[in-house]
Amino acid sequence: MLARSSQGTAWRERARLMLVWLLVTVLLEAAGATEIELPEYRVKAAFLYNFAKFVDWPSKAFSNPRAAFGFCVLGEDPFGSDLEDVVKGKTVNERESALKRIRGLQGLDGCHIVFVSPSEQERYAQILRSLRNAPVLTVGETAEFTKMGGIISFYLDGDRIRLEINIDAGERAGLKISSRLLKLARVVRASWRN
Amino acid sequence: MMKMGLRAQPGRSYRSFFNFRLLCSVSLDFLFVFAMVATAGWAAEAKEDLTALSIEDLMEVRIESVSKFDQRLADAPAFVTIVTSDDIKKHGYRNLPDILQSVRGSFVRYDRNYHYLGLRGFSRAGDYNSRFLLLVDGHRMNDNVFDQSAIGNDFILDVDLIDRVEIIRGPSSSLYGTNAFLGTINIRTKKGKDLKGLEVSGEGGTFTTYKGRLSYGNRFESGLEILLSGSRYESQGDQRLYYKEFDSPSTNNGIVKDADDENYGSLFGSLSFGNLSLEGGYIRRQKEIPTAAFETVFNNDDTKTTDARAFGDLKYRHQLPYGVGVQGRVYYDHYYYRGDYIYADSADPSLLVKNIDKAQTQSMGGEVQFGKALFGRHNFILGAEYQYVFKQDQLNYDTSVYVDDRRRSKNWGLYLQDEFEIFKSLRVNAGVRYDHYSSFGGTVNPRVGITYTPFERTILKLLYGQAFRAPNVYELYYQDPGISQKANPNLDPETIRTVEIGMFQYLGFNVWGTMNLYYQRIRDLIAQQEDPKDGLLVFQNIEGVVQKGLELELEGKWTGGFRSRVSYALQRTEDKKTGTGVANSPAHLLKLNGIVPIVSEKLFLGLEGRYSSRRKTLGGAHSGDAFVTNVTLFSQNVIKGIEVSGSVYNLFNNKYSDPGGGEHVQDSIRQDGRSFRFKLTYRF
Repeated sequence: MLARSSQGTAWRERARLMLVWLLVTVLLEAAGATEIELPEYRVKAAFLYNFAKFVDWPSKAFSNPRAAFGFCVLGEDPFGSDLEDVVKGKTVNERESALKRIRGLQGLDGCHIVFVSPSEQERYAQILRSLRNAPVLTVGETAEFTKMGGIISFYLDGDRIRLEINIDAGERAGLKISSRLLKLARVVRASWRN
Repeated sequence: MMKMGLRAQPGRSYRSFFNFRLLCSVSLDFLFVFAMVATAGWAAEAKEDLTALSIEDLMEVRIESVSKFDQRLADAPAFVTIVTSDDIKKHGYRNLPDILQSVRGSFVRYDRNYHYLGLRGFSRAGDYNSRFLLLVDGHRMNDNVFDQSAIGNDFILDVDLIDRVEIIRGPSSSLYGTNAFLGTINIRTKKGKDLKGLEVSGEGGTFTTYKGRLSYGNRFESGLEILLSGSRYESQGDQRLYYKEFDSPSTNNGIVKDADDENYGSLFGSLSFGNLSLEGGYIRRQKEIPTAAFETVFNNDDTKTTDARAFGDLKYRHQLPYGVGVQGRVYYDHYYYRGDYIYADSADPSLLVKNIDKAQTQSMGGEVQFGKALFGRHNFILGAEYQYVFKQDQLNYDTSVYVDDRRRSKNWGLYLQDEFEIFKSLRVNAGVRYDHYSSFGGTVNPRVGITYTPFERTILKLLYGQAFRAPNVYELYYQDPGISQKANPNLDPETIRTVEIGMFQYLGFNVWGTMNLYYQRIRDLIAQQEDPKDGLLVFQNIEGVVQKGLELELEGKWTGGFRSRVSYALQRTEDKKTGTGVANSPAHLLKLNGIVPIVSEKLFLGLEGRYSSRRKTLGGAHSGDAFVTNVTLFSQNVIKGIEVSGSVYNLFNNKYSDPGGGEHVQDSIRQDGRSFRFKLTYRF
């Protein structure tokens, strides 16, 4: 910069300070703002927790009255720490909740809600077939998923999350889905024979 | 644009010392702002307990469209920065130089005619951006006579049509051929579905500047997607400029009036249906030159340049059997340049002579690319490209014809690239391309990149690459017999070799840090020299330069639209023969960007700070350091379908200059002070 008068420098310093002050005020305001956009999987994690509240599992789903309620993620975990944060320390119908990440079909014991990651897309048929009559709420992310016998599927409508529920699949699993939840979803009855 | 050679001017008076205190205080300011945005963003992120919401409320929650970390960036065999259309809106970027300057390690020079981009400390006066490749949706925009990347208001797209800008540092000739030398800039355009109807936009600002745009875009049920847009821009520029080099009574005491006008009209369209897509654009831009460049008459608004560009690109994708994907492309390019230069007649200086400089090129080309995954861990790409430039004309005349060169040329290339996953955490990307030019023959350019992910959130990259820049017809053949410049058909291409190493590391609180170190060596640099035997200017291959640098960056994205980025680049570029630093190369660059939502989803504050340390000029002096602050307030959806923004550029009205070129008497050229812009967009 060319030679600046000392007055010029002082003005610049003051202007910078004012800008920083403005920024601080604005940021504090902003931090208090609600209705902000949230990360997709954090919202989906909250949905999974809510499903536990609006679905009834048959007593045979639990090995004993103190057995934990199992949230399981099958395949690559897209939730990061979000599902853990939601599930940690919470109870579902007075049962403790537990979170498991599983890779193969072996680890499904003790799972009551299974989120099937989009990474398992090629194996949907296989996975859903083996869970067909088990008292497990299967949750996925594509239209295919519910068509193939998955119970709940997430889809996006613009920037909001929506649900598709396959009632037949839910009945086959022995689960009772609350009408409050059904009212909010797009309901699907038919499913492909597989 | 160019003609009549380069002249080094004796040192002018822009003496300034490197201001280390300023560098430190600006760094601290930038880090402080970054930390403020990070704190607010992290606070907003942490406080939301969604389980307290009822399920009905959860259905109403909006989710972010911005992903926190782009996996593609981590996997690419280069260091890439992305600027999105959201950044463009919220920071009030008016044109491509505004966008490019916000990115770490980059700097721009403007001489009131064209904008020139510098990457990694190198931007040589007279190279007209030919040392990087400019692509629009993969279509090469560098023209066929000067190889120029038009990045100023002569850039073919209105920035509102940009979906994202990818700045890919380092050599990419192994994929793209010539000009992908210091870097590649790929601009992805918006598609029909991004517009969803008719959109009209108007903006106005300081220097009596106006721009209007009308666009239509849609994606129909049948799958047909279409986008059409037209823009018109007019500016009177700075109507009173002062250049002290001309401060004498015979040249109006250094004052230039009403000679900074600029206007352009541009069109763009894209169409896609199934596997077929078609795209094309046109721009015609005119700019008056107020600097008396090329020894033209001072304070004469008839000296101006006109550039027109048009292109068409048709692509087709298909899946062949055995898992082979094929992509074919045919394209057409047209470039027209005309420079009107007003001189005083040598015989009678009271008379004026208009010298016309023209260039025109037309070319057609095609490219085919095959891709296949092999053996489970390899991803191969094999491609071939051919271009026929059937018109390459250069003309210069006034009372006589000085240059009349018409020719044609062909070039073709073959390339191969493999992405090989050795282990889940170790990936190698290797490629090589052979190019053949009718002017100089063949050249082979390889590139290898290794990406290693030792821990989940640590990514290491090691890259080696080679690139070339073919001599263009201006450097090879432009000559005015015996007057000032002669041809050199024996020029060899310039070559560059780069080694770089870098690391991406997740630092917590949604902040990613990047660090990279590079070493580059350019050989056979094509530069205009004076031949001592006849005093004529001629382009020759000279020794070259060495570039070394370190870049550091912190980037964070938080809930609610909080974003911030702060970067520092330390760079040194030296002439290999003399060991001295080159001109127009700042040693230090600091950048800051921050977006803060003031009213969630409706009102945003965009802040930008840019600091560049002083640059050496052609005269051996320095244009002082530059510190520019830009602020934009952006609002959307307060009234349905309306986006409004108000911006202040160079908020503190700092006086700074860019080094002049060889065609200027001015050693440094003063840039604009504080200016404003108001913009309104309505979507039907």
